[in-house]
Amino acid sequence: MISRRTLLAGGAGTALALSARPRIVVGQTNEPIRLGVITPLSGLQEFIGSFVRNGAEVAAQMINKAGGVDGRPIVLEVRDEKANPAAATTVARELLGNGITLQLGTISSTVALAYGPLMQAENGINLTCGAGTEKINHENYNPHVFRIGDGTYRMRAQARLMAERFPAVTSWTGIIPDHEYGRTVWAVFVDGLLEFYPAVAGKPPTIIDPIIVPYGSGDYRNFITQAVRTPARGIVNATYGGDAATFFQQARPYGLFRERVLMDAANEFIVANALKDQVPKHWTGSHWYYAGNSSALSRAFAEAYAARTGEAMPMGWAGEAQAAVSAYAAAIAKARSTETPAVIAALKDLTWDTVTGPRTMRREDNQAVKDLEMIQLEPDPGAARGFKVSDYVRVEGAGVIEPPTPGRKMSLRAPA
Amino acid sequence: MTRPVPAFALTLAALVALALALPFLVNRGLVFLAGLVAINAVLGLSFNLLFSTAGLLSFGQAAFSAAGAYAAALLLLRLPEVPFLAALAASALAGAGLAVAIGLVALRRTEGVYFAVLTLAFSELVHVVLAKTSLFGRNDGLTGIPRPRLSYGLGSVDLAVGDRYYVLVILVTAATAAALWWVTRSRLGRAFRAIRLDAMRAAYLGIDVRRRRLQAFAIAGAATGLAGALAAPLTSIVSPDLAHWGESTKPILFTLLGGAGVFWGPAVGAVVYAAVEYATRSLAGASDLITGALLLAVVLAVPGGILGSALRLARRGRARPAPRAAPAPAPAGGAP
Repeated sequence: MISRRTLLAGGAGTALALSARPRIVVGQTNEPIRLGVITPLSGLQEFIGSFVRNGAEVAAQMINKAGGVDGRPIVLEVRDEKANPAAATTVARELLGNGITLQLGTISSTVALAYGPLMQAENGINLTCGAGTEKINHENYNPHVFRIGDGTYRMRAQARLMAERFPAVTSWTGIIPDHEYGRTVWAVFVDGLLEFYPAVAGKPPTIIDPIIVPYGSGDYRNFITQAVRTPARGIVNATYGGDAATFFQQARPYGLFRERVLMDAANEFIVANALKDQVPKHWTGSHWYYAGNSSALSRAFAEAYAARTGEAMPMGWAGEAQAAVSAYAAAIAKARSTETPAVIAALKDLTWDTVTGPRTMRREDNQAVKDLEMIQLEPDPGAARGFKVSDYVRVEGAGVIEPPTPGRKMSLRAPA
Repeated sequence: MTRPVPAFALTLAALVALALALPFLVNRGLVFLAGLVAINAVLGLSFNLLFSTAGLLSFGQAAFSAAGAYAAALLLLRLPEVPFLAALAASALAGAGLAVAIGLVALRRTEGVYFAVLTLAFSELVHVVLAKTSLFGRNDGLTGIPRPRLSYGLGSVDLAVGDRYYVLVILVTAATAAALWWVTRSRLGRAFRAIRLDAMRAAYLGIDVRRRRLQAFAIAGAATGLAGALAAPLTSIVSPDLAHWGESTKPILFTLLGGAGVFWGPAVGAVVYAAVEYATRSLAGASDLITGALLLAVVLAVPGGILGSALRLARRGRARPAPRAAPAPAPAGGAP
């Protein structure tokens, strides 16, 4: 039988042992680095989120295989944000509450904007993997949110490419979804057109009011007939995913894209995979075009991605996830800490290697500077997928990125 | 026999004590989820006031929670000088006002399934208005909603610090639950039940059926709006999704899951729903499927809901020693 004295002594001893920090016993170097991946894995944007999740998992696997970060393996905690801002903040808070302060994977502009105050209040960090709004690094700049990929300036690069390739196409309009991302795409593309057409083509462009389309609509025929009547010879499309595939498919009988240049913001292979040899010839932005990047890291990542998922044509969001995971790895190695203030400090001015080559995180506004990639897709009934990549262009990011103005609205050219 | 008021008060006190103890027992992530569960419980309880007490099936409750959430968000973002308790009251009024506006039309000539479909249609209209109006941030909604500062005579409390806002959520949801319970037990609640049981006979007895139904709709709308207002600073974001029909199905699900015939049934349903969601949170993509299948199984296999069935079993167990005693029927929406 245990005496009261033994019980008291045992209790006191146990309390003393527990009060010592367990890290000292197990050794800090082997402790896994836990990163939260919050991205849509169900709902309308699952097709993007699955690339983010798989890309992050492949990136973590590659880092761990190479010995981890100072010997510490990376462990991912993946959550589905269901393409719903409230659900996204809920799972972010749940992870923050569990001590997972380093998060990545946001692709929605609305969610990325909501994360700023949340991360600041809860001492976390979010690296966005595709959110496009300019507000992230301008008027809504928050030191706890970083955009590791191409942001607003991608549309400026796409406008410059159009001025270079199609100097005679000077009238432009847009198919713009009615949300933050759509409005940003249009505003920045117009800014680029107004700068680069006079500079490159020697002619000022004519900007025609865009056609604003609803998000998640199944019937775009009214908007298509409206677009067919436009005198614009060039169209920029900002609808994405299923919306874009529906729009393009419904536009076929109307011949909307037959005589017009089509620049798609960033659907990469999404529309082409859906429409196959029915896809109209068009340009699209890509966060990472696997076949256009010949670095050892890019090739190894594409191979590992294909081995893990069976997808031989990964899309750029996978590359953005790789960039986010490797940014954390590089920043933690630099800071020798996973504490939020140390990681924030290390991320600023960080230059790290990614599948698209080295990127540098601009200190002033937490915006990465990277090269922009664009591909031209066209139908090819003989190809396995019914389409082919017929051209690839890379534009140096430093040449088109806007100046940093954290806390202030981005200054954009607007038609007179 | 247990007197209803002490039994209700004891249950509520125990629940509040448990909720307030949570920050000392679990991490902040779970405390945050507990706050959401408390808000969902109020959504379920207010729906059940309509459904089980007044006999009205509404498929559009999300419109009222969205009205409350947007009202609170706009006041916190645009008029931060407005005291938060006044903002909560304004949000409840927004929910009640919208309910009266919709109820005046929907209750005019319809009841039953036609009423349910009309509430769904109005809710979708609210969803579209929110998504198209610049004041409400269009499709993007309003972000960065701060947790407020609660001012009183001698000083103020910053609710952004620690778990203070969670404590406020628990206290306000408890007060709302008590108010809803009081309504179900009051003369007004008895009138609601009379209408649910036989509207024609109730009218014959002198009850103004349309007016009472409108009152039930307005009270449920106010409580739902208040719940929405509490959620806005908790999640720091409001978006048109709040008024989506999918959100309207949740209080129905909580009620069916927990038990429509028992006052605390929807609260139990909200807890079980959150527990299933939490348990499947890392099964990304499959989570909704598993949650849906489990809930469907429970709703089909346990028609009286979890709490309803548990109480029935307990009553049967108590009745065994004295098999001749007739079991007392539970008053709908009345048992604590």
